[in-house]
Amino acid sequence: MAVTLPEVVEELLREMASAVRDGARIPDEHLSSLKFVFGSSAIQALDLVDRESVTLISSPSGRRVYQVIGSSGKTYTCLASCHYCSCPAFAFSVLRKGDSLLCKHLLAIYLSQVMRNCQQLSVSDKQLTDLLLMEKTQEA
Amino acid sequence: MAETLRRVLEAGPAAGPAGDGAAGPPLLLLGAPRSAQTSLLFAAALEAAGEGRGPVLFLTRRPLQSMPLNTPAARDPWRLQKVRFQYPSSVPELLQLLASVHEAPGPAPSLLLLDGLEEYLTEDSRPQEAAYLAALLLDTADYFSHRQGARGSCGLVVALETLKEADGDAPHLTLLQRYFPAQCWLQSDALGGQQHCLRASLELGKLSPRTEWSVTFLPNGEMKITSWPTQASKPSPDQKGSSAGRQSLTLVCDNLSGRQFPLD
Repeated sequence: MAVTLPEVVEELLREMASAVRDGARIPDEHLSSLKFVFGSSAIQALDLVDRESVTLISSPSGRRVYQVIGSSGKTYTCLASCHYCSCPAFAFSVLRKGDSLLCKHLLAIYLSQVMRNCQQLSVSDKQLTDLLLMEKTQEA
Repeated sequence: MAETLRRVLEAGPAAGPAGDGAAGPPLLLLGAPRSAQTSLLFAAALEAAGEGRGPVLFLTRRPLQSMPLNTPAARDPWRLQKVRFQYPSSVPELLQLLASVHEAPGPAPSLLLLDGLEEYLTEDSRPQEAAYLAALLLDTADYFSHRQGARGSCGLVVALETLKEADGDAPHLTLLQRYFPAQCWLQSDALGGQQHCLRASLELGKLSPRTEWSVTFLPNGEMKITSWPTQASKPSPDQKGSSAGRQSLTLVCDNLSGRQFPLD
């Protein structure tokens, strides 16, 4: 994602990725830091990653979009280039109140990259357009 | 687009090299009047078209009724034919266009411009709808950048006319600023005497230094840009938390509401 996270979060994600690369367990202190920064969203996002809920969908054109299956089973669309999620929490806590940096689905995307368990799916260019447009019909 | 606009503004005294193709952060062009925004967007389009890195995609709700500028670049047919205008008439049409750009073959644009965002977003728009439009604009420019590859990245500039009564205010402005870290404000300035002046401020990011320019639209349609003298600059009138640390630029545009600028 091109949008920058606060440096402290970037650093945390880098260190977690490094541990995963080395085949080590993610240190508990990193998980504590994650919980400190993101609160209860951290646990929920880790749970989504464990359940392999994050899918990166791409088309032959090279355009990409993420879909995350929420805990309720509902599918949310997240853009690959900047912070946007179609879930109600993003609309309320991130956009309106501004007291959250990310929703749990966007955090799960970052964590799925760190933990290398992001699912991959290829669709046609037309299908990708439909996925991007279907998003706007999802009501907050 | 922040980089393209900066080069347009710096083109007077010392036009730097086109650089390494880096487009800079997404930029929101704010203030009034709309016609000056259109002229600056058009100047940016011609600047990018001259770089030879691909076409420029210029989105606006209605076709331009006349040339917004009469500069040598605006008379260059080679540059003009690199600027592709498209006229989505509604938010659904605009979203459809942005969401499907990857289905079209051909070279990827080096610059994506949207004029008159206020015609698409109103106070009635839901915040999430405004956010999705902004995010999809970023996503589209990001996709074009991906297609540009080693040639550089695709810039993004969106013009939004703010309410004249409440200076600096526009629906969903705070939300939009989340997606557009760079902003250029245009505002009226009395220094132009009998000419109608606009003063503008450019900041490429929250911590970026300010730069100042003076831009004059001459009656013949030409645009004259000079550096705003640092010692003569005065603090911008405060604009709801947006003025701190900005640069100023003055547009003298006595004829903007006249025959050549029919968009108002």
